[in-house]
Amino acid sequence: MAVKTLSIKGADSRDMARQAHDALAGFQPKLLLFFASSIYEHPETALKEVFPDSEIIGSSSHSEYCNASFTSGSVSIMALDSDSIEDVCIQIVENIGIEPELRETLDGMHNYYGGVDEVLENYDRYVGVVLFESSAKVEEIFMDRLGTVTDLLFVGGSSSAADRGESLVYANNQCYSGAAVLAILKTVNGYDVLKTQSAHILSERKLLVTKSDLRNRILYEFDHRPCGEVYAEVLGVPQDEIQDYFVCNPLGVVADSEIFVRTFNQIQGDGITLHCGLPEGTEVNVLKIGNIVEDTKKALDAAIPYQPAGVINFNCLYRTLEILNENQVEPYCALFGRYPSIGFSTNGEAFFGHINETSTVLVIK
Amino acid sequence: MIQQVISQKSKGNMIIANSVRTKMYLKGIAVDKYTAGSPDDAAVMQKVREVAKEFGVIV
Repeated sequence: MAVKTLSIKGADSRDMARQAHDALAGFQPKLLLFFASSIYEHPETALKEVFPDSEIIGSSSHSEYCNASFTSGSVSIMALDSDSIEDVCIQIVENIGIEPELRETLDGMHNYYGGVDEVLENYDRYVGVVLFESSAKVEEIFMDRLGTVTDLLFVGGSSSAADRGESLVYANNQCYSGAAVLAILKTVNGYDVLKTQSAHILSERKLLVTKSDLRNRILYEFDHRPCGEVYAEVLGVPQDEIQDYFVCNPLGVVADSEIFVRTFNQIQGDGITLHCGLPEGTEVNVLKIGNIVEDTKKALDAAIPYQPAGVINFNCLYRTLEILNENQVEPYCALFGRYPSIGFSTNGEAFFGHINETSTVLVIK
Repeated sequence: MIQQVISQKSKGNMIIANSVRTKMYLKGIAVDKYTAGSPDDAAVMQKVREVAKEFGVIV
């Protein structure tokens, strides 16, 4: 057995860790990946106490997925042993709100495995996981820098929190705010990565971002005109009603056939704030939201035509709220119940860049 | 120029070439909009030069 998945509700972190230890008796995890409801205090410390020989990374969560179940107030754990993970290299980047300098960090991670040439020659075995603590709101800049200094694929998401507790990320026995946890896994049998969003192109008209504030995630102009005016024009609705369409009609950067969703936040002065900044020069399309369950099934079936060892689902919190509203939790979770899987409701997803309203999925073969 | 960045950065690896294309889109360069026959756009060319420098390639 290369991968085991657990969903645990404990009286506290120590009780949760004790239950995890009991459930994994006889199993020697190389890596523990966990998503813990933010109601748990220091789950990382409790887990490290009972799994001192395992590398441990995780994130706080609003709500959790494990196999076919959806829960809140729980901890989802994936334990991977040496049958699926040969090695893992973990690095923490703190203060990500300050311009992140990642070259040295990634050089060190490549060198851990014998250098960048070794990693790239065995590209089908090495994959990165990135867990952001979401308060810094700089994931798009971080992912851009990360993509500049490494050719490895990194997949992951940003932490969330329940009504009680703090948004945090974890590595071994430490918790972090305003930080990113990076892990490069050397898999035994390889991996696949997929990204699925239930958003489709509404209008083929390309809108050129001509004025924006990337760092503050504010959009001002499309095609040298106020962005709200152009957005209303595309939708064919009065400009004073555009906020009513923000949820159902986000924006998308279409890179070849891949859509990278950017969602609206709110109108702010002359601009509109987004949940992911757009650099000037970017072309976007207006999108329409589709059926999450149907689109997720299509994506999973196309990408995973085999029985994987484990599946990790970084699913946007908005998508979780949407399937709750539409009473689609059971069919959605049934899709992931086909595999040993864990996931959580994220405040942003990572794959090449920072994405909204998307599910990014790491499949361990 | 855009193709030069992609081919130099990817060194012939098609998977990495596709990754580089995606990264360029997300950096604000509409890769498929420009061909070798496209009229020069100074702002876009400057942006491509900056991206090339970030990637450590010379165009």
